[in-house]
Amino acid sequence: MRTLLLRRLATALPTMAAVIVLSFILMRLAPGGPFDGERALDPATQAALTRAYGLDLPLHQQIGRYVARLAEGDFGPSLVYRDFTVTDLVAQGLPISLSLGALALGVALVLGVATGLWAASSAGRWTDEALMLGMTLLTAIPSFVTGPLLALVFGLMIGWLPISGWGGGDPAHLTLPVIALALPVAGAIAKLTRAGLATALEQDHVRTARARGLAPATVLLRHALRPALVPVASYLGPAAAGLLTGAVVIETVFALPGLGRYFVQGALNRDYPLVLAVVTLYAGLIILFNLAADLIYGWLDPRIRG
Amino acid sequence: MRRGVISLGLLVLVVMAALVVPPLLPWSYDAIDWDAVRAPPLSPGHPLGTDSVGRDLLARTMMGARVTLAVAAAAAAVSLLIGVAWGAVAGWCGGRIDEAMMRVVDALYALPFMFVVILLMVLFGRSILLVFLGIGAVEWLTMARVVRGQVLALRERPFVTAAEAAGAGAGRIIVGHILPNLAGVVIAYLLLTIPQVVMVESFLSFLGLGVQEPLTSLGILVKEGADDMDVAPHALLLPGGLLVLILVCLTIAGERLRDRFAA
Repeated sequence: MRTLLLRRLATALPTMAAVIVLSFILMRLAPGGPFDGERALDPATQAALTRAYGLDLPLHQQIGRYVARLAEGDFGPSLVYRDFTVTDLVAQGLPISLSLGALALGVALVLGVATGLWAASSAGRWTDEALMLGMTLLTAIPSFVTGPLLALVFGLMIGWLPISGWGGGDPAHLTLPVIALALPVAGAIAKLTRAGLATALEQDHVRTARARGLAPATVLLRHALRPALVPVASYLGPAAAGLLTGAVVIETVFALPGLGRYFVQGALNRDYPLVLAVVTLYAGLIILFNLAADLIYGWLDPRIRG
Repeated sequence: MRRGVISLGLLVLVVMAALVVPPLLPWSYDAIDWDAVRAPPLSPGHPLGTDSVGRDLLARTMMGARVTLAVAAAAAAVSLLIGVAWGAVAGWCGGRIDEAMMRVVDALYALPFMFVVILLMVLFGRSILLVFLGIGAVEWLTMARVVRGQVLALRERPFVTAAEAAGAGAGRIIVGHILPNLAGVVIAYLLLTIPQVVMVESFLSFLGLGVQEPLTSLGILVKEGADDMDVAPHALLLPGGLLVLILVCLTIAGERLRDRFAA
C-alpha cells in the first residue's frame, strides 16, 4: 500500500510542478495583454502598470515570485474584477463549485451503481439491453444540452423548479444543476459497474457462493459487487475532472456564482492571474482526487496493494 | 452489429446533409431576413424557422454541423498522428524510453484537459486553427496507450523478427510491417476519439471560447438556442438534437468496432 502511494506521489508532485511552470510560461508567451483596451494608455501609465505587476522582470524571477506567492495562498489581484484579489474570488466561488461537484458525484454514484446492478441482475433480458442503451445515451449527451433542456422542461414548461441563481444554497435551486451535471457520469459508472459485475459473476468465489445456495441478491451484493467496483474506483479520477469541467458550463447555464463562471469570464477577458489560479487549483484537486481513488482501489482489491 | 451499422448509416446521412444542403438553400447561414425574425418552424421559406435576428435555422444548423464535423475531423487527425507516433515509438523502443514516455502519458491523464485547451485558447487567440490543434494536442493519450500495447505484442511476432533478420531498419519495420497490422484497432479508437473531440469543440464554442462568430458551430447554436428557449424552444432543440445524434451514433459505432477488435 505504502509503495503504491509513494509511487503515485512520485508522479503527482513533478506533474504539479510542471503544470505551474508550463502554464505560467504559456501565459507570458501569449500575444496581447490585460491592459490592451479600446483606448491606448499613455506610455507612462503603461510602464507604471507593467512595473506594478512585476511584468518587467526576467521570466525566471517572475516564476520565482509567483511560486513564492502561491505557497502563501496568494494568487495576486484579479485584472478584471478590479476590487477583488484572485484569492477572494476563489474563496467565494470554490465552495459553490465543490458542493455542486460533490453532490453530483454522490447522485452519479448512487444512480450509476444501482442501474448497473439492476442491469446485471436482469442479464440477457430486454431490460438489460434497454438500460445499457439508455446509459450509452446519457454518456453521449453533453451537460450543456441536458442543462438547458432540463431548465426548459422543469423550469419553464412545468414550472416546478427555479432555473437561475444560487438562492443561498437552497436545495430547489441546486436540483436541476446537480442532475444535469451528474447524468453523464452516472451513465459511465453504470456501464463500468455492469461490465465489472459480468466479470465478477464468472469468478470462482461467486460460483462457490451460489453453490452454497445463497439467494441471488446476496450473491450479487455481498460477493460480486466489491470486485466489480474496482473499475469504478479507477474511474473516479477522470470523473472528478469531468465534474469540475462540467461545473464550468452548468454554472454558466444556471447562473450560479461558482468558480467556473469566474473562470469563463477570466478566460474571455484574458485575466491571467485568475485563469492561472483556476488551472493550477483544479490540476491540484484532480491530482489529489486521483491519489484518493488509488487508495480506494487498493482497499477494494487487496491484490494490487503490493 | 446491427446497431453499429444503423449508427454509421445515420452518420453518413448527417455528413452528406451537412455537405449538400447549405448550397441548395436560398438563405446563407449568416443572411438576415428582416421580414421573418423569430419565425416558427414550417414558415414559408424557412422550413425550420429563424433565430432571434432572422437567420434561417436550417441553413445555420447545417452550417454548424459542417463546422463541427470539420473541426472534429481535423482535431481527430492531429490526435491520431501524435498518438500513433508516440505509442509506436514507446512500444518499439521499450525499456527505459518506453517507461519515460508512458509516465508522461500517465501524468497528462491526470490533468484537466478542458482547462488546458481553454488556457491555449486564451493564450493564442481564439482562432479555429487553434481550436482543433489544441483539442488534438490533448486528446491523443488513449490512442498512444492502445498503440503502445499493440506494438509491444507485435514486436515479438515472427514476421517482425524476419524483417529484422532481412536487415530492415526500425523506421521501415514500424511503418511497413507494424502500422498496417494496427489499422483495425486504430480505426476503432479513432471513432471513439471523434465524439470526445466534438464534445470539447461544442463545449468551448458554447462558452464563447471556441469557434467565433460570424462562423457558427453546433455549440454556438445550442448556446443561442438556450438564450432564446423561453420564446423559441425549437432553436435549442434542433441543433441540440443534431449534436446528440452525432455524438450517440459515433459512440455506438466506435464501441461496437472496439469490442470487435478487442476480442
